Amino acid sequence: MDFKPTYTPEQEAFRKEVRSWLEAHVPNVEGDRDSDENYAKYRQLGRDLGARGWLRPTVSKDYGGGGLNFEQSVILYEEMDQYGLGLPPYYDSGGWLGGASILVWGTEEQKQRFLPPIFKGEVVTWQLLTAPEAGSDLAGTKTDAIRDGDDYVINGTKIYVGGSHKPDMLWTFTRTDPTGPRHKNTSWFMIPTDTPGVTIVPMDLLGDGGEGIGASVKNTVYFEDARVSAKNLVGGVNNGWQVATTHLELEHGGGGSIGRNKWFERAVQWSKTEKRNGRPLIEDAEARDRLADIFVLTEVSRLFGLRNYWMNRTHQKMSYEGSQSSYYRKLTGLDITTNLQELFGPASLINGGGFDFSEGTLDAYHRSAITALHPGGTADVQKVLMARRMGLGRDEAEAAGKTVE
Amino acid sequence: MDLSLSETQLMLRKTVEDFIARDANRDKLIELQQTPRGYSDEIWRAASELGWVGMMIPEQYGGGGSDFSTTAVVYEALGKGPVPGPMFSSGILAGQVILQAGSEEQKKQFLPSIASGDIVATLAMTEPDYQWGPAGVRLRPTESGDQYVLNGTKLFVYDGHVADWLIVAIRTGDGADDISLLMVDTKAAGVSARKLDGFTTSESEITFSNVKVPKANLLGKVNGVKAALDRALLYATPILCAYKVGGGQGVFEMAVQYSRDRVQFGRPIGRFQFVQNHIVQLVNHLDAARWTLNEALWKLDTGQDARVGVHLAKTLASEGYRKACDYSHEVHAGTGIMRSYGLTLYTRQSRSLYAALGDPRYHRKQIANLIETIE
Ligand SMILES: Cc1cc2nc3c(=O)[nH]c(=O)nc-3n(C[C@H](O)[C@H](O)[C@H](O)COP(=O)(O)OP(=O)(O)OC[C@H]3O[C@@H](n4cnc5c(N)ncnc54)[C@H](O)[C@@H]3O)c2cc1C
Repeated sequence: MDFKPTYTPEQEAFRKEVRSWLEAHVPNVEGDRDSDENYAKYRQLGRDLGARGWLRPTVSKDYGGGGLNFEQSVILYEEMDQYGLGLPPYYDSGGWLGGASILVWGTEEQKQRFLPPIFKGEVVTWQLLTAPEAGSDLAGTKTDAIRDGDDYVINGTKIYVGGSHKPDMLWTFTRTDPTGPRHKNTSWFMIPTDTPGVTIVPMDLLGDGGEGIGASVKNTVYFEDARVSAKNLVGGVNNGWQVATTHLELEHGGGGSIGRNKWFERAVQWSKTEKRNGRPLIEDAEARDRLADIFVLTEVSRLFGLRNYWMNRTHQKMSYEGSQSSYYRKLTGLDITTNLQELFGPASLINGGGFDFSEGTLDAYHRSAITALHPGGTADVQKVLMARRMGLGRDEAEAAGKTVE
Repeated sequence: MDLSLSETQLMLRKTVEDFIARDANRDKLIELQQTPRGYSDEIWRAASELGWVGMMIPEQYGGGGSDFSTTAVVYEALGKGPVPGPMFSSGILAGQVILQAGSEEQKKQFLPSIASGDIVATLAMTEPDYQWGPAGVRLRPTESGDQYVLNGTKLFVYDGHVADWLIVAIRTGDGADDISLLMVDTKAAGVSARKLDGFTTSESEITFSNVKVPKANLLGKVNGVKAALDRALLYATPILCAYKVGGGQGVFEMAVQYSRDRVQFGRPIGRFQFVQNHIVQLVNHLDAARWTLNEALWKLDTGQDARVGVHLAKTLASEGYRKACDYSHEVHAGTGIMRSYGLTLYTRQSRSLYAALGDPRYHRKQIANLIETIE
């Protein structure tokens, strides 16, 4: 086994190129990275990356990707990670979820029309899956799209969706055959956000789910007689559930990730500056034990993510691994916050006003660790999925969703 | 990056699996667990002749000279049996200690016969006041001329009762690390060994009464073996982890199969979400141990600082094997506790090997001590 990509001289040269390009292009921002002003800068970074094919490095150039290989994509992720950024450097369900679904299920015409703008960072999309009546039971949605001439007319409500800045497109799946059999009665749509009849209302939630810049707010979206062209129905009429299996698989962690979450590093840093009885916390044996516990949890998450990244990009047959990493990350997020609270005490809950050594970072994490239990399928739903993939109580294990053409 | 096993590794794994199917299948292992020694001649012969005992000993000393990852593949497959016997204690652990601490002459004297399985050696570190690490070594010899005289007890020594040679850790100074290592022939007058019964595998008690050992039997220098011992443990520990991961894989596969076969309330129990939860938690523990181990092995094979990685892997392998067995027992209920079924072969090991080479608390503590080295 080899846990590090081995880089050829050309690839090392590529890293240099990426590094100096990022130095010149990653914005220097102050304060909230998600303020309108700062968000606009990150959006611009996304467009600039997209123009070079670096936003979706492994996607074919034909559809606006970079046509780069596995090692080059790792280099890009690693270098972005140095800035605490991912690809794209803001919340966008298009590139890694909706785009992947269109790539697998769309017609050539749809791929040409939808994908280049998404993969080049010109268009940001939100995923609209959860409905008040249909959370974990996605297929139970009661949002309807009824054919009318060349259009479909959509009515219904979606909740907990999107982010803090208006997107260009929305994607959703709705019933196109309200009385048809489950899993065979929905279709998948791309919908321009400014379609008349679409209303977005922000929600007041405990915290964000740690989904990064652009995702500090979730919304309710109302469809009232919103008209969408039939040309925007992807993957065939009443085949929406199949299309959804692609992005659901990826969202459940099947795409993997590179790099460790930063809580261990941050906790070590704060332990050097925070003092108890005149001594830095890092000199305290108990405190070091908590740091070690945090390290253990974050390492396992990192390795699950890395394993999945490798499996996905090299097209290994996947089973329960996606949901496993998602479940593990969700649950250990709570354990990490417990350790952080034991380490830093009540001050870890304070936001502003003088005792706030983490400048609100820990307050936000305490909240987002709870919030993050739910998106992309609840922690329990991840277990349900793992059980199916392992074939518990079944003669045959369920196959993973299709994530490549 | 390539996280797959090589062709050679897959082939080696197949060899072990074929051997297990023939000579160490579950029925045979269930019979063996009732015997005093706990393993069979077939097992020891195969492990020696097929090179599994000596695989990590360098070729110039009669071993296979395998790297860490390849050795781990074999020991994982053995652990999945779970194949009992002193392969790890002798070939890996004692082999590494002698390799790291011994003189050239001592290496030539012991390593080839350890590799060939002609002799069995094991490390005798811990004592009745169980504490892993040099600080727990209290057995202080007296000196008489060019001999040491040993009186006392080593406890929880794995495979001590079948060993020809013991590497005995002795206290030779007052500093925490002032220990030395002494090769003791178990046939020497005054040495007795007794297997410890209970929820154990191969733990034994060794008593020394007026045992005279030539000072020439010291491995390395007096009070100067700490670094060599640390290296040997760093290299041997991940192989023990691999054996445990294999055991975890064994109980995982049993649980999945049982979830399909056992029917209650008209459906396979694997359709009950609580049962599913047991197996999900099981596989999470197993995979956490497996992937931290894999990375540690890779670090060792590529000459990187693997200390934190090995402590991490050992923490999770000990915790993980134990938990894997607990969850598998929950799935199997009554069936699992019948000794004729086979699950308890693993459970016994998950307990017995929990603290071998240090328990999770010890290894977490080592990570805490090494925080500044983490990148
Ligand atoms: C921060 C955040 C971001 C989100 N982003 C998006 C987004 O961008 N787009 C989007 O569409 N949605 C989004 N969601 C919604 C999220 O996907 C849903 O909250 C989630 O799927 C659960 O649905 P629910 O809240 O209705 O809970 P419910 O489905 O009502 O679940 C309630 C409880 O029942 C359990 N349960 C349900 N079914 C089963 C079962 N079969 N077996 C066992 N237990 C079960 C659940 O695990 C949970 O414990 C987001 C949510 C959050 C918190």
